[in-house]
Amino acid sequence: MIAADILLDGLFAAVAAIGFGAISDPPMRAFPRIALLAAAGHALRFSMMNYADVDIASASLCAAMLIGFGSLWLGRGIRCPMTVLYIPALLPMVPGIYAYKSVFSLIMFLQSLNDPGQGMQYMQLFFLNATVSLSVIALLAAGATLPIFVFNRRAFSLTRRRKIDHPTPRPPKKDEPATEPDVEPRNPGE
Amino acid sequence: MKTRHELTEILDFIAEYATYLLGSGVHTSRAIRNSQRIGEALGVDIQLSSFQRSTILTVRDDESGEAITRVVKIPALPISFERNSDLSALSWDALDEHLPLAEIRRRYALLIEKPRIDPIFVLVTVGLANASFCRLFGGDWTAMAIVFTSTLVGFAAKQRMQAHGVNHFLIFIVAAFMASLCASSALRFDCTAETALATSVLFLVPGVPLINGVIDIVEGHILIGCSRLINALLLIICIAIGLAATLLMVKDSLL
Repeated sequence: MIAADILLDGLFAAVAAIGFGAISDPPMRAFPRIALLAAAGHALRFSMMNYADVDIASASLCAAMLIGFGSLWLGRGIRCPMTVLYIPALLPMVPGIYAYKSVFSLIMFLQSLNDPGQGMQYMQLFFLNATVSLSVIALLAAGATLPIFVFNRRAFSLTRRRKIDHPTPRPPKKDEPATEPDVEPRNPGE
Repeated sequence: MKTRHELTEILDFIAEYATYLLGSGVHTSRAIRNSQRIGEALGVDIQLSSFQRSTILTVRDDESGEAITRVVKIPALPISFERNSDLSALSWDALDEHLPLAEIRRRYALLIEKPRIDPIFVLVTVGLANASFCRLFGGDWTAMAIVFTSTLVGFAAKQRMQAHGVNHFLIFIVAAFMASLCASSALRFDCTAETALATSVLFLVPGVPLINGVIDIVEGHILIGCSRLINALLLIICIAIGLAATLLMVKDSLL
């Protein structure tokens, strides 16, 4: 039952990611990988929140990091930059209900100016929901961007053709530590 | 060594290339990196700094020391990840295959001529996506169906208004209002009406500028990152205004 819940969650997240991704005109070849990343990320967040009692912000950060590293790994095969894969995959994790509740409580606060007690309650609700939405969105973006800093040379050359296609083959250098500073275009790594 | 004419041609191409990237939703450091890569392939040094609406770039020939600078306006283009991937790949090809400027220009023209995704396909997938989103927030099947329909209405309205070149703030307000008004019909049914109402406007959330803004800020392009975030924030406020109009009409049945 738990497995079915998690799978279903992943499935709906995948559909959501494909649809929201389609607005930004991604290459057709990227859709399967976007779906996979979104499903994995959202299912991870769902499991952490429901079965491990983690709060939404930390769970989102973990899921975003999973999506970020996943896009680094999957982007290579189809020559897509990381952002093309991970931005659509992150969209199903946008905390929509919290955002909605912030708007709703703000409206209700403005409607209850004559009743300070009730007004304070709505103000409190507004800050609670707005804080959650803002921190989740910031953590989502930051978490998915982290891999770019860790593996910047690999992340910058995702759209490059593989060595086989090069007219002049280069000696294979695999994941060597970046001894030279990252002046990427001058010493292309992979 | 390049003649002044050659240098100007390179500058004009890079200006077009970089502003096209920035206009179609590429974060700043990638646009800079790609432009510099093409510059390296052509044997010149390129530096550029970007704002929300315009870019300043300089091309310098290291041998002669001659430099030319231009300020270029960033066009307002629809966000396109496909252009992002293709044009990034073009910059690597230029470097790896030592392409001349004429060939880079030819490939660039082909790449930006590629057709975009069919709008009807986008419309239907966005509808399905928002319905699944409703499910993720705990909506039931009735709510999902209502969200699907209201997303179709809202997104179709947005597409039509965009085709007519309406101001984008107005587009967001009207689309959010229409979608949430349709979704408020959920109050008449026995279903998770609040979830339906909350989800119906989420297809409008400007995810790309939001995430690009954060990326730009953490990568040190703080000014343009903030501009992007403020831009996204304005659009979110517009969504909230549209939603608020609906909520004011139906709030009594929500309490």
